[in-house]
Amino acid sequence: MKFALIFAAAEDFQPQHEFELPAWVPIHLGPIDMSINKAVVYLWVGALVTILLGIWIMRFGLSLRPSRRQTTGESLYELIQGQIAEGNLPSKAINRWFPYVASLFLFIWILNLVGFVPLPISSEKFELFGVEFPTWGIYAATANLSVTLALALITFVATHVEGIRYNGVVRYFKSWIPAGVPKALLGPIVVLEVISQFMRLISLSVRLFANMLAGHMLILVMLGLIFIFSSYAIAVIAIPVATAVYIFEVAIVVTIQAFVFALLSAIYIGGAIEPEH
Amino acid sequence: MTTLFAALDGNVADLGKAIAFGVGVGLGAVGAGIGIGNIFGSMIQAVARQPELRGELTGIQWLGFALTEAVVFYALLGGLLAYVLV
Repeated sequence: MKFALIFAAAEDFQPQHEFELPAWVPIHLGPIDMSINKAVVYLWVGALVTILLGIWIMRFGLSLRPSRRQTTGESLYELIQGQIAEGNLPSKAINRWFPYVASLFLFIWILNLVGFVPLPISSEKFELFGVEFPTWGIYAATANLSVTLALALITFVATHVEGIRYNGVVRYFKSWIPAGVPKALLGPIVVLEVISQFMRLISLSVRLFANMLAGHMLILVMLGLIFIFSSYAIAVIAIPVATAVYIFEVAIVVTIQAFVFALLSAIYIGGAIEPEH
Repeated sequence: MTTLFAALDGNVADLGKAIAFGVGVGLGAVGAGIGIGNIFGSMIQAVARQPELRGELTGIQWLGFALTEAVVFYALLGGLLAYVLV
């Protein structure tokens, strides 16, 4: 974004364009809009980097004297196995669901990280020596509700499918109701429990989406202040603050949000497979 | 942001929206700030009493942090929605 600011400074720069998603390759399947836009390209980049990371870690064999590559892989595995999967997924389901939780963590983590690397993926152009280049900017695919909602939906569907598969329809839906509820309260409790299941979907997706959006918006607003007041004196304050926010986001928020998303997915799926009654 | 400046020209409705947005998110941040302080305070106490539990507690701590922190963003999102829709 900083590059974008420098090069676009002369024109009428609109910082909020970061969140606009014009369709680059329009694809319409009936009423469904499948157009390729910036978020889709960022998802591809994230998926590609995740796959390459996996290949880099796993495909060159393991040795007794661990290299840096192997220790990276082992610490990632330990984090996911020890903190996320174990204790939340029941042992009978861990083989089936560990890969999902692990790839969820890695994918979201990489997507978030890629969101803070300035990349020339943008429909805005700047001119340098008479040649047009796309502006360098930062954009996170996870700062888009559709992306996080899709991820949350996978967990949501998996939760109930697994719950029904392991417990049977009747036993699973019975397990939603806490034990020892008086008959009179049964109606409201059922309504509340059903709502809470759907609230999970909302909270899971909105948490990640809003975190990334807010992080990007803070940086954007700080740098945008320079243009709103159209004075470089503001930059003395705005750029250090924006840098501090950037470092906070990259060092802490990015990892925590990926971690929490994967952890809650594991808790939900584990809870559906082995309900507490 | 530009609305704020438009408001200075006498657009009171936009001014009100901008103030409401700021106050709403600010109040949301107050609650989450107290909550996050609580979580880290308890974590420090817990580790001071039983340092050997640190590894187990870290995961729970971050989970609690993220769950609490998300409350600000619900406020932010609600504020944004109200700001855009009203």
